[in-house]
Amino acid sequence: MNIMKKIKMKSLICASTLLLSFTSLANVAVIVNSGNSAAIDEADISRIFLGKVKNFSSGETITLVNLDSGQATRDEFEEKVLNKSASQVKAYWSKLIFSGKGKPPKELASDKDILTFVAANPGAIGYVAEGSLDGSVKVVKVF
Amino acid sequence: MKHKKIALALAGILLTSNAHADITFNGFANIVAGTTISSDESVYGYDNNIDLSRDSLFALQASSDLGEGLSVTAQILSRGADDWDPKFEWAYLAYQANDNLRILAGRQRVPFYMYSDFLDVSYAYPWIRPPEGVYNVPFDTFDGVGAIYSSHIGEFDTSLHFVYGGNNSDIRVFGSDNKADFNDLAGVSLTLTRDWLTLRTAYIQTEMNIDLLRTKPLVDGWNSVGQSYIADQIEVAKDTGSFVELGFQLDFDKVIVIGEYSSLSLDDTALPNQDSYYIMAGYRFNNMMVHVTYGADEDIQDPLDIKYQIPGVPDGTPVEYLPDDLQALIAGTTSVASTEKSKYITLGLRWDFHDSAALKFEYTSYNDELINNNDAGIFRTALVTVF
Repeated sequence: MNIMKKIKMKSLICASTLLLSFTSLANVAVIVNSGNSAAIDEADISRIFLGKVKNFSSGETITLVNLDSGQATRDEFEEKVLNKSASQVKAYWSKLIFSGKGKPPKELASDKDILTFVAANPGAIGYVAEGSLDGSVKVVKVF
Repeated sequence: MKHKKIALALAGILLTSNAHADITFNGFANIVAGTTISSDESVYGYDNNIDLSRDSLFALQASSDLGEGLSVTAQILSRGADDWDPKFEWAYLAYQANDNLRILAGRQRVPFYMYSDFLDVSYAYPWIRPPEGVYNVPFDTFDGVGAIYSSHIGEFDTSLHFVYGGNNSDIRVFGSDNKADFNDLAGVSLTLTRDWLTLRTAYIQTEMNIDLLRTKPLVDGWNSVGQSYIADQIEVAKDTGSFVELGFQLDFDKVIVIGEYSSLSLDDTALPNQDSYYIMAGYRFNNMMVHVTYGADEDIQDPLDIKYQIPGVPDGTPVEYLPDDLQALIAGTTSVASTEKSKYITLGLRWDFHDSAALKFEYTSYNDELINNNDAGIFRTALVTVF
């Protein structure tokens, strides 16, 4: 019984790993809370995620949320939207941290956590793999 | 003593804040090994024995949000060059007055250069450390007030940074530590950023008082023969030092070009004026970056005006007929004027082999343009990290 469970778990992990590596090739969707009606254009998105813009056009304070480092969707997002490699992004935030000028975004472990966070916080903005979208949030743009 | 006071004050603030807010810890470390390539060479403090401590450092930062826009940050840094003696590099209270204005009170960086804000965070830039020629002011921090005003002009993000304060830590000149006191340090820097383009300029001035051990005998000597006019030109007392910087950065996906010029004016002192610049080009591929830097430095000492009028010594008396002590003073004073001219080329490689660590290799060929046998080649390698 126990062994069966373990095997099941393992195949589940294998399957989700496959799924993850598959979705990483898919598009990245930038998402906000469904109540957010602010106008956000493409140029704003990278400035928002680099902490250069603090408020939405509606005046709402922006709360950034990021995926944990090392995740394929995060690499994809940084490459496509920020035009930076993971270490360039890390270097960028280091400059701000050690001069007291800014703090990197909160990091969450999975697309599901990001969706839950964005759905619960009116000022939140984040991104998930397009395939993870579940209708609980508003999609700003798909890259 | 002063460090201890700051430490206590900050510990107090951090402890009281503990009830309401979390403390965030961050840190960085650079482990650097360097050596010149042959035995008779010495440059940037390196000789041909492998030195692991000179440029190595370790830093820990604690910060806490106190709410209402107020936060407190302290960064303690240990340098191998200071026998790993930990020092407060930053220790300040920050107040975010509104979206545009941030005010800092306490110990912070003087915004001399493009990389002043994160001067020791090697992970944040291509080189092991920014070019020594331009990054050459003997102190980096001050105690006082800073105000950063961030805004936009057209498509450009702008950051205007004002500072006012002082610094009274010892500084290293002519190879020894000298007591120093910098008062009324005031300055402004402006940074413009748009996509791949960054432009920067800074102006900083300060009243300088430095007890220069090396020139003290000359100053005392001239004063003792009633020639304070000459002593004043040598000693660093209530003299104004000023610093100008211009910099740019072009950062494309693969290619990066950086240039910076600085000019340090230390008129009416035994210290030379310094003009320096560098230009760097880098190319990124995979998780590597190769870069090349060319730089030139010039130290210019205006000749001192040795017009002495000493009772009993007729004007125009040839030096060899003067009293011995006066001859020694004149000889010492003329040799104080130091002029130096050098250029260098650095080839470097940065390899981001890990999420939060990079390995760097650099070779610098240093060329003294005035003294032929002062040329040197120096090889440095570094493991740098942020955590």
